[in-house]
Amino acid sequence: MPPSRFSIAIVALSAACALALAGCASTGQAGDSATPKAGTVAQVKVTLAAGGDGDTCSLDTTSVPAGPVTFTVKNESATGITEIELLSQQRIIGEKENLAPGLKPVSFTLTLGGGTYQLSCPGATKDLQKFTVTGKSAKATGSIQSILKEGTAGYAKYVTGDVNSMVTAVANLKTAIDAGDLEQAKAEYAMARPFYERIESDVAGFVLPGFTATDNSGNLDYLIDMRQSNLDPAAGWHGFHAIERDLYQAGAITDTTKQYAAELQTNVGKLDDLVKKLTYKPEDLANGAAGLLEEVQSSKIKGEEEAFSHLDLVDFAADIEGAQQAFAFLKPGLSTIDPSLTQQVTKQFGNVLSLLDSYKDSSVPGGYVLYTAELRASDANKLSQAVQALQDPLSKIAEKVATAQ
Amino acid sequence: MSENSQSNANHLSRRGLFASAASGLAVGALAGVGGTLGAQALGAQALGFQAFGAQADPDADPLLSYPFYGGVHQAGIRTEPQRYCVYMTFDTSADTASELQALLARWSAAIAQLMKGEPIGQVAPTRANAVPADTGEALDLGPSGLTVTVGLGPGIFTERFGLTHRKPAALKVLPALPSDQLDPALTGGELSLQACANDPQVAYHAIRDLARMARDTVTTRWTVMGFGRASAGPHQKTPRNLMGFKDGTRNIASDAEYAKHVWLNQPDQEWMRGGTYQVARKIQMDIEIWDADHIGDQQTVFGRTKLNGSPLSGGSEHTTPDFHARNGSGDLRISDTSHIALAAHENNGGIKILRRSYNYTDGINQFGQMDAGLMFIAYMNDPGSFVTLQKRLGAVDRLNEYIAHIGSAVFAVPPAPKVGHYIGEALFG
Repeated sequence: MPPSRFSIAIVALSAACALALAGCASTGQAGDSATPKAGTVAQVKVTLAAGGDGDTCSLDTTSVPAGPVTFTVKNESATGITEIELLSQQRIIGEKENLAPGLKPVSFTLTLGGGTYQLSCPGATKDLQKFTVTGKSAKATGSIQSILKEGTAGYAKYVTGDVNSMVTAVANLKTAIDAGDLEQAKAEYAMARPFYERIESDVAGFVLPGFTATDNSGNLDYLIDMRQSNLDPAAGWHGFHAIERDLYQAGAITDTTKQYAAELQTNVGKLDDLVKKLTYKPEDLANGAAGLLEEVQSSKIKGEEEAFSHLDLVDFAADIEGAQQAFAFLKPGLSTIDPSLTQQVTKQFGNVLSLLDSYKDSSVPGGYVLYTAELRASDANKLSQAVQALQDPLSKIAEKVATAQ
Repeated sequence: MSENSQSNANHLSRRGLFASAASGLAVGALAGVGGTLGAQALGAQALGFQAFGAQADPDADPLLSYPFYGGVHQAGIRTEPQRYCVYMTFDTSADTASELQALLARWSAAIAQLMKGEPIGQVAPTRANAVPADTGEALDLGPSGLTVTVGLGPGIFTERFGLTHRKPAALKVLPALPSDQLDPALTGGELSLQACANDPQVAYHAIRDLARMARDTVTTRWTVMGFGRASAGPHQKTPRNLMGFKDGTRNIASDAEYAKHVWLNQPDQEWMRGGTYQVARKIQMDIEIWDADHIGDQQTVFGRTKLNGSPLSGGSEHTTPDFHARNGSGDLRISDTSHIALAAHENNGGIKILRRSYNYTDGINQFGQMDAGLMFIAYMNDPGSFVTLQKRLGAVDRLNEYIAHIGSAVFAVPPAPKVGHYIGEALFG
């Protein structure tokens, strides 16, 4: 179980405090002046080099007047330094990554108010160096945290909307099952699944009142989405996959199937109540998106999630969609903090989505070809590597948004 | 050739050892691996000398380190073969030259760190939400003689990187060769990394972290974990392959041979000056069948004796084989379809290649048999040399009854970069 599953439950209690912290005043103001006018921008050269006792990171000046400042970084020969960061009160306000000897110099421009900053060169013999900006402190205008906060509020609405639709979809599934209509039930099952997959990493930590955290009988995620591969004999079969087993393996709707459907409807209703109370920190969105990708790698690619229906690609697409939504809500803030990371993640989402497109088939319930053993044998590697290429840059987002100001 | 990576290495490791011995750090490290030297009771300084006495095994020195920058050639080619090697090929999803440049520059800088025994970034970042930059399993293991050698496959020299005009004429996918049983899943690649070290975990860590840091631009293609070097360097006892025979007795060793057969001195592409080509072949052995063969036939297959490796024409291991010698009944002493007769430069118009192979095992196959063989890695200034040799070997080698070439790839190996530069930089000039 990815750690993100647990974090939300805790976050739900602590979010208000964290958001209050995020509103703290700051001395430095990061801004993105993409096209600064020459002559009005202070220039700072940062040179990375290999030295006798280790790699060095040197600045040609350690004090500039307040206003726009361009940092130009050249890695002459330092193999141990791959990034530099400008910190204000231990928070990253600007940085450059992927620095390697031989590459062209890179630069970034920030509008800095008066105060003391630190230049961090992880891997250098002297990691932190003082950097002073003289003059007035900048006025705070819409900090990145406030942009990120808007994003988290938007994402919370997305989650409640999604769960609300799940309530309807599960009701339709129950109706078909109660009517004993196997084909309709299969179609409704395929329709209902994506709603859970899109937000799964946000809702995985809930324990029903009166149960302990170690008892799966009170674990809402278990009751809704347990699979054969994580079956706890003490808690038994429940939820979506118990229904899936009956519909696709046994090919029959029994009284037990109807009980499963009724119970699922009740539990999804509880989920609907719970998610309305959730609030999120920016890093929760990032960690939640990362958690969804872990889900893809750990159960969809292996064909373990939909062992009977083989609808794994439907879930796969829903996980990616959920992750993409979380990313989209972070994007306005993140693109200010780290435009290149934002671009990288956007590009990798594009790659995964266009790969998924090649599996679309509107004649199959759920809209994707069945993930059969044969397809898995031939394509799992390709799918996994595409997700992997997205996972890596995406895993860096949490730190960025958590430390941004 | 003025540069000799072997002398570089000894030089460097001695310095490294003295420095550490003086600070007292080497005592624990060497005591762990130097048990066979019986040296634990010696003081740190005496131990420093003892460990590098004539009888000592430099492979056992965790501080053995080779330079990444400044040599004419990349390390890991002439370097005396280390004990373990992880070989991996990759395809790249990069679609611009600048992405490829960044990949090669980042790999170069990281390899320089790894070869010094340093992590490539923070193992435990100070900020709780940060992902570690180095995975950490090689911490405290020392450089262990690590070398990482980078190769560029034919697929790099395409329109997408604007590099078609930089393609060396000799860099082509190898043609179909006799007896090929290539598995597409073990064939090809646009980039290769060969990470060899005396500690397998150091070699694996290097490949793992290099693959990891480049996941947004490369996808893994195939890999082999090699153990028990199966080719000797000039200062090493000839090791044995999994068939139990000495391998690499007549390997390339002298400066003159390297100059003539390995390094590109007059390349058609200037960026390859001082470079070479790498041919990789995964060769599966039918271990059980071989093991049931009698010693007489095994020796006939190779053309050498099993115990001391001397040619069947007589003499000792390093006696030059006489491919014309006949026994009393008039038969050739070394069969003309034996492995050494077919591979010998005397019988191939003088062709020699540098072999730098490793044994491998992949466990047990679907039939319950041992899945093992030779990860054949060879360096030469023209991949055509391998093609010429393998055309003969693949057609009539007695060994073919017991082996199958199941994987294959070819790469251009650029020269080593200077400090402040990266492998392949000259490609983009």
